[in-house]
Amino acid sequence: MAQVFSQPASQIIGLVLWGLLVLILVVPIGWTAFDHSPWNTGQFAMPAQPVPFSHAHHVGEVGLSCQYCHQGVMTSASAGLPSTEVCMTCHSQILKDAPILEPIRASFRTGKPVVWQRVNKLPDYVYFNHAAHVNNGVGCVTCHGRVDDMPLMQQAAPLTMQWCLNCHRDPAPNLRPAQAEFSMDWQPADDPRKLGVALLAHYHIHPETLTDCYVCHR
Amino acid sequence: MSVTDNGSLRDDFANEPPAHFWRSLDDLARTPSFRVKLGREFPDIAAHFGRAVTTDRRTALKLLGASLLMAGVAACKAPAGIAPYVDQPEDIIPGRPRFFATAMPLDGYAMGVIAESHEGRPTKIEGNPLHPGSLGGTDPIMQASVWSLYDPARSRSVRRGTEISTWDEFLQNIAAVRAAYLPRQGNGLGILIGAETSPTLKRQLAALKSALPGLKLYRHAPLNPPADAPMPVYDLGQARTILALDGDFLGQGPGRLAYARAFADGRRVRKANRQMSRLYVIETAPTLTGANADWVRRVKPSAIDGVVQKLLDGASGSDVSEPDLAPLLADLKAGGAVVVTGPQATPYVQAAALQLNQKLGAPVQYVAPLEIAGDGDLTALVGDIGAGHIETLLISGIDAVHSAPAGVDLVGALKRLKTLLHHGLHLDATARLAHWHAPATHYLEAWSDGLAYDGSAALIQPLIAPLYDSHTLHEIVAALGGDYTSSAHDLVRATWGRLDDAGWTAALKAGRIENSAAASAPARALPLTAPATQSGGIEVKLVPDPYFRDGTYAPNLPLNELARPLTKLVWGNAAEMAPKTASSLGLKDADEVELVAGGTHLVLPAFIHPGTPEDTIVVTLGWGRAYGDGDAVGVNAFPLLGQAGPLIVGKTGKRGRLVTVQNDYSMEGRDLIREVELSNWPGPPPIPEEQPRVMPQWDNPDEAWGMSIDLTSCIGCMACVSACVAENNSPVVGIDEVDRGHDMHWLRVDRYYSGDVDAPETSFQPVPCMQCEDAPCEVVCPVNATTHTHDGLNAQVYNRCVGTRYCSQNCPYKVRRFNFFDYTQDITETSPLSLLMNPDVTVRERGVMEKCTYCVQRIAEARIGGDVADKPIADGTIQTACQQACPTRAITFGNINDKTAKVVAEKAEPTNYAMLAEIGTRPRTTYLAKVRNHPEDSNG
Repeated sequence: MAQVFSQPASQIIGLVLWGLLVLILVVPIGWTAFDHSPWNTGQFAMPAQPVPFSHAHHVGEVGLSCQYCHQGVMTSASAGLPSTEVCMTCHSQILKDAPILEPIRASFRTGKPVVWQRVNKLPDYVYFNHAAHVNNGVGCVTCHGRVDDMPLMQQAAPLTMQWCLNCHRDPAPNLRPAQAEFSMDWQPADDPRKLGVALLAHYHIHPETLTDCYVCHR
Repeated sequence: MSVTDNGSLRDDFANEPPAHFWRSLDDLARTPSFRVKLGREFPDIAAHFGRAVTTDRRTALKLLGASLLMAGVAACKAPAGIAPYVDQPEDIIPGRPRFFATAMPLDGYAMGVIAESHEGRPTKIEGNPLHPGSLGGTDPIMQASVWSLYDPARSRSVRRGTEISTWDEFLQNIAAVRAAYLPRQGNGLGILIGAETSPTLKRQLAALKSALPGLKLYRHAPLNPPADAPMPVYDLGQARTILALDGDFLGQGPGRLAYARAFADGRRVRKANRQMSRLYVIETAPTLTGANADWVRRVKPSAIDGVVQKLLDGASGSDVSEPDLAPLLADLKAGGAVVVTGPQATPYVQAAALQLNQKLGAPVQYVAPLEIAGDGDLTALVGDIGAGHIETLLISGIDAVHSAPAGVDLVGALKRLKTLLHHGLHLDATARLAHWHAPATHYLEAWSDGLAYDGSAALIQPLIAPLYDSHTLHEIVAALGGDYTSSAHDLVRATWGRLDDAGWTAALKAGRIENSAAASAPARALPLTAPATQSGGIEVKLVPDPYFRDGTYAPNLPLNELARPLTKLVWGNAAEMAPKTASSLGLKDADEVELVAGGTHLVLPAFIHPGTPEDTIVVTLGWGRAYGDGDAVGVNAFPLLGQAGPLIVGKTGKRGRLVTVQNDYSMEGRDLIREVELSNWPGPPPIPEEQPRVMPQWDNPDEAWGMSIDLTSCIGCMACVSACVAENNSPVVGIDEVDRGHDMHWLRVDRYYSGDVDAPETSFQPVPCMQCEDAPCEVVCPVNATTHTHDGLNAQVYNRCVGTRYCSQNCPYKVRRFNFFDYTQDITETSPLSLLMNPDVTVRERGVMEKCTYCVQRIAEARIGGDVADKPIADGTIQTACQQACPTRAITFGNINDKTAKVVAEKAEPTNYAMLAEIGTRPRTTYLAKVRNHPEDSNG
């Protein structure tokens, strides 16, 4: 019996069918990969700021504590940004004429705030609370990375829901003692899991309660 | 929509025995259209979509493709700027709300409140437990008052005629007025105010009058008692028998929250306390007080004098001609009785109440008059303008043109004035006549003070600088006195010079000034005039709208959409009448009625309201007020007030529009509300509630939240619903959407009638989400958007919801609400309403389901607080918004795993029951059956 379809036609049909199969596999994988990639999550993004503020200098070299500027971090949902006055505490003496600090001085003169660009942005429907984390053994470094190594602030973590949940499901390995809360280079001396389990009990953390939707969404 | 056909009503009763409790005549009669409506989960939705959307297959496919493409766009995000303080105030921690004590002037009297502020924006009002007028409770108006601050329709600039002007120019004009009238000692100058108790204003006006002796002060407060009458203060807490003679002490008057608390406290029947007061009510229109009575007689307005006369005769020992009154007289004579009346009662009834109280030795104190008295009322003003005695007038705070009673040609008089200055929140009918208009401040924007119902003073402090070019009356009066620089703060501070700085701070912090209650005064002697004789024919009874009062709050849209406690009407008023009256007039629900009296002619939709006295048409005042660019909602009934002519009632033959939520979500006459007689307390044991469980078993080892609602304490005032709307960013959806059954209130208060159609008893039942342990909604969600939390809440996850509405279909309590449209789309960043939103609650989008969360944001807040302090959450730390607002403390909330919690004690009461327990949903919200204290029962 003669072939129903010519040789090139069946090649095309085969190509189309195989192509569809590949598409069905590739598109979801590709989409997922893109979704989780830094292009989409903004991980490592480093938005331009009005003043090129260096955490590497202020934290790494000068040795300021996080709380000197982010005063709400132990008591409020929001860690807070330093007011212009806080900047001027030092910069009315140090580098008081430096051109890069002009926006700060201008703000101090005019009373208009410096508008910084947000680096770690969560959607509006996520109710993140700094106080809840910092008072319960989650160090600043855990989410914000080694800011003492960042000449310009960048988003260290992907901040995806999966990333949040990884820790909410199993917080133990990410906990540290209260005195190491603001430390940049603290490392557990012992087995981190063993210490984490002890810290869970110490902070009265019940991981089974941490994955309820309303913990973050209200 | 109600479609009762009265002609066939009785036939329908004959066909089927009515349920014990019923919500409306449609429900009682089980009309076919009502049944059809009940069968639909969301009434009229199909018709709605058929009208609004016409989609062919091709368009549907296009939209499908577009939505796939758009799905990714939603993830795009732009980094937003953050602006820290330049000089951060020491006591502000960004991200944490702050709370300030202040007071809301309501009908002129101060109601103490605690205002919540997020980064400088007031977002929520709670009652101030330290203030005698609030005791921690609130009413619906107070809860909705923050909306008024951000009302987009508020007047924003000074106006000279129709031109926009400035405050400085307004002050220059005031200076010119002062210069013109100073040599004439103020003759020709007048000020018209509403009900005011502010001691600062009183001091300023007195000073102004001594400088300008010819100045005339007029007062127009149609709902308040005369300003020079001593205020009665009732001690209801000790009363065993309360008799209200046309005195709606639960729904009206500056003491209503305190009285509601005392009333409820006297009726909390528990295992440890079997005492309960008994409330008798004789009234001429259905009121909240009448709805809560154990014995109520509703008579037409002209008949009440006759009934009260028989009562007086009986009390003074003569034979009782009316056997009906015997139990009441017996209880009055038994001691511990108090008679309450109100400003709307007839002079005879007021005099009779006074006489009865004196005879009974009732616990009633009188305090010296609190309100600022004027030299005359609106009638006097119109007369003075007509006689040429007044040529320049300042009107402040009231829309006098709207609320002018019959026979007062205010508009004509105002047009004759040389200069009319208006000061108010809106560009209303009065402002439109004025030569100058200055926007007034909202009470959250300015300094002032005011008196509570017992005369104790409270300071009103601002939480936010005025949003617009608004100023206080204090500043205007000061300017008339030649002081152009003093701020309202300076003026209020000067009034309270006796307070040192520490005392001032303490008064601000507490929200009231210590030991400032008014001195007691003797009651004004009221001669017992001859009682009015009952007239024949139909009479009209005008009552204030429970939320708008005299129309002051008519621009408040959440209050427009809040169902009225008794009628459950929204977005409009009606001619309310008893079923018998409607039958005799041949009227059905929503038929247009013409009311003609004197020169007044009003057209309103009829509304059959069981419990309205026969031959009486009740119309609420406060509606029909036009402001800004919009049209008025409802019909203004003030032109009927004081109208002497005979009432003619006619039909136009047309149909009006009535929207009531009373028929939505009915539950087919099951045993939803339970009542028990006090003598029979606690009544039959509840139905065994253990049911076979087929749902996933949840284990709540830590906390398990639960709620108990005491139906005896609930007076049905709707403060809880208003609080829920304010706390949870619930949108206003408008009349059309409510008509389709799309109201977005997470909590509703069901109103049931029982007994005789012509004299029914009323019961209220607040219905929030029951937070079922075995929740039918959870198992039907295809995307797991409604889940069970470790502490037993049914959490609704907006971002997962795809809008199938299966959950709502499967909810036996019908407490879920769906966002059919983007109801918040107008609240953009440029709208002042964007400042109103509670930042702790997500603003929901179109296409998602939502429902009561037990105020999960408050639970989360307390949990985080406990985590930070490393302490368990103490009982009472978490109050849901409805619980905190409730003036009678009917709602108890807490952890049912904590055996010492108050909610556990409430749930252990023998009258505790779960709604629809027999279907095995195991609700976390349970009720305490309503205890009735009928007189027939104990005396017979």
